Amino acid sequence: MASSNVSGQAYAFMAMTPVMPGNEQPLAEYLRGLRGRGPSPLAKLPRTHLARFVIVPDFHHDPTWKQPKEDHLDLNYLIFTSNFDGGLDSYLDELCEQLAPEAKEIWGRCVGCPESARGAALKAYLKHNQIDTGMFFAAYGHATVGMVKKALREREQTIAFAIRAQGMDPETLQQAFLAEFGGAK
Amino acid sequence: MSAQTPSAGPITATGTEPRNNDGQAIAITVFSTIRPLRNLLAPIPGRVFLPVLFGLTRRLPDLTKELRQLSFIHFARWTVISRLPYNGPPQKKGRLRYQHMYFESNFNGGWEEYIDAFSHILAQGMTAFWGTSYGFPKPLPTAPFKQYIQSNETEADHYYSAYPDATSTMIQCALELDTRLTKLKQDAKRMDPDAFTVAYRTFLTDSQNAL
Amino acid sequence: MASPAARMDLGDIQGDILRAYGNDYDCTTYAFVTIECPPEQARAWFSGLLDHVTTAAPWSAGEKPLTTLNVSVTAAGLRALGVSDKVVDSFSREFREGMSSRAALLGDVGPSDPRSWDPGLGTGDAHVLLTINAQQTPDHQRALGKMRDAMDEAGGIRIVFQEDTELLPGSREHFGYADGFAQPAIEGSSDDKARGGGVPLKDGGWRPLAPGEFILGYPDEDTRVDPKRRLPNAPAAPLARSGTYMVWRKLYQDVALWRRVIRDAAKVYEGGDEHALSAKVVGRWANGAPLVKHPDEAPADFDPRTPGGNDFRYDKDIDGMRCPLGSHIRRSNPRDALGFEGHLSFRHRMIRRGMPYGTELPEGATADDGTDRGLVFVSFQGSISRQFEGVQVQWLNAGNIFGLGHDKDFLLGDPHGTGKMTIQGRPPFFLAPQEVFVRTRGGEYLFVPGMTALAALADGTAG
Repeated sequence: MASSNVSGQAYAFMAMTPVMPGNEQPLAEYLRGLRGRGPSPLAKLPRTHLARFVIVPDFHHDPTWKQPKEDHLDLNYLIFTSNFDGGLDSYLDELCEQLAPEAKEIWGRCVGCPESARGAALKAYLKHNQIDTGMFFAAYGHATVGMVKKALREREQTIAFAIRAQGMDPETLQQAFLAEFGGAK
Repeated sequence: MSAQTPSAGPITATGTEPRNNDGQAIAITVFSTIRPLRNLLAPIPGRVFLPVLFGLTRRLPDLTKELRQLSFIHFARWTVISRLPYNGPPQKKGRLRYQHMYFESNFNGGWEEYIDAFSHILAQGMTAFWGTSYGFPKPLPTAPFKQYIQSNETEADHYYSAYPDATSTMIQCALELDTRLTKLKQDAKRMDPDAFTVAYRTFLTDSQNAL
Repeated sequence: MASPAARMDLGDIQGDILRAYGNDYDCTTYAFVTIECPPEQARAWFSGLLDHVTTAAPWSAGEKPLTTLNVSVTAAGLRALGVSDKVVDSFSREFREGMSSRAALLGDVGPSDPRSWDPGLGTGDAHVLLTINAQQTPDHQRALGKMRDAMDEAGGIRIVFQEDTELLPGSREHFGYADGFAQPAIEGSSDDKARGGGVPLKDGGWRPLAPGEFILGYPDEDTRVDPKRRLPNAPAAPLARSGTYMVWRKLYQDVALWRRVIRDAAKVYEGGDEHALSAKVVGRWANGAPLVKHPDEAPADFDPRTPGGNDFRYDKDIDGMRCPLGSHIRRSNPRDALGFEGHLSFRHRMIRRGMPYGTELPEGATADDGTDRGLVFVSFQGSISRQFEGVQVQWLNAGNIFGLGHDKDFLLGDPHGTGKMTIQGRPPFFLAPQEVFVRTRGGEYLFVPGMTALAALADGTAG
């Protein structure tokens, strides 16, 4: 496991798995339909900051690029990348548990995926297909999802209070602040 | 996307395909093919250069500093794909003819503005990373560079953000605010009203760029 | 070396784009015409206009016409004139889609939703826009009369929407601010030396912008750095050369509401009175003096048109203590404020030629009188999406690039009514709630063909 996958406490994971021939369209439709069916299943993994599924049908070619030979993928490939908090193993454990129903529809359509598409077998499959990151940039790599959400909430709260509090005299201000942010004197 | 598309213009408010958006967060996913070492005509052999570059970049703060200054990026990564792990038939065994570079970013603002920033401001960094790819035009002028990125870009099939309403800048501001607010909460408990008013106004003055 | 001006074919470019006609023309009528007859018939009428179209060729003393005429077309208009789909498809996507289809992107929601627009705008019925400027009312009436007669004679051509506008005293707009004098400095135009109008240079100077940013068929800022000197993307010949894209938007201004909100907020504002607070929102004092140069009070004799009047930048005001980071003019033209020597902002400039419409709300009145008043916003640019939409979406309706989170331009308003503006200070002041001060009443995306292109449209050889 390369240290290049890490920045601060954030981890950059990538798995690239070949799609079973004939499954390309159903897989694409399934992934694209996730939005319309409610919150993303990735919300079940609270350590996930930002993640994506991308199906890559083939490499791009353009005759003007003067590439001597063409390079083609034999199959469509599914890329899954995630930027998340903390250790890889525990994250994959969570994923293979919480996303079991979805995993069957997603990696279950990929070559070599274990029949169950869950648990330790799925985890091993994903690790087998992991590609290490070359360079990872994280703007706030020290902060967990929890820290980020808490900070954002407090920012909203502070702005709303600051607007309300304009013009308050010292006593009123302090009382209002304590009422809003907790803790009587 | 064909290179002949006349000025296509933004499709969504952010200028990218709809599935690349989750609230304020925008995904960009780009693949490119790297020139091999044996190609003596190539200005820079990528096979050797990129891993060295990645290593150097982690140690040299300049590119990171510029990326941070742009502050509209949450997470970004560059990865060289040399081989694909084998999973049995019908996947074909065997090597890729070339190495390929995978780039992804999670950012805010417009696609056009994002690429403009890379084009104008990170020109050196962009050449360092993509100069080793076939077809890469220089970062300037912006039009061919944007065309290149568009041609090599793939729309996400599913994109997720844990905090879709927040921009990277807001998050960085909010995290910074947290420490000052904690101190202010303590002040509120122990100070008298006049002293607290002073502390509060100082807090607002110091934090205004985060609010 | 011959100046770029010598290379620009001013006789082929329509007037009022590179250089404003000027304040002598204080009445402007915008007449949107719809074509209800076959293209051949429409083109016959269209040909009749051409001799009267005013170009960018300079006038010598005493030659100033009493009225001017300019012609622009929508995508639907091109089709109504018989232009083929193939050629129409060579125009930009946003132009072909039309402004009303892009309402969600532009923030034209809630009270600005196209469903509430003035009849005739945004429906696809607007085909040709006739812009008539006049010095005096009798000339104005005469020109309008001629226009209507020509339509009646032609048959199957009628006005689907018309807005008559007139300059307000002091060249102000309805919130009371001097407006319209800060324009991009364009290489080759007489104003190209105008300090403050171009790209800010490291040494404190300025350089003008490439003409292709505003007129098609000429090199733009990208061409400068292209070893192959490629020209920007443009529609198919012969229509592109000397042409430009035009944005036309009717913006209603709720002057009474604006006055009330400022009056109420000023009661708790420690930094000054209503005039000071209002100036903080706009970024200028009412007479046009920029806050960044005159943070404490407006210089009494400030004239924005004097040389140097527009020469200012934000490098000494990075924290917005003089001119707030979110003030209207700082958002719409950040100059050097985004850092990186203006490279994040220099390709988002627009030429603006709008006019106020409607009678003024009497000074001091804070109750609405039901009058329709506001601004007809008109801009010219080489790319509607990069220049107009980019500014509208990223700089006015959002605040992230300025470090302002989701804050929108306070002056325009927030359709949800929940926004705020931070006025930087020690301590800062938070201006809220952000009501809807400006509402979109209608708009169109248009193309302004050059003279040769107009002739091609008129005789059906545009392809």
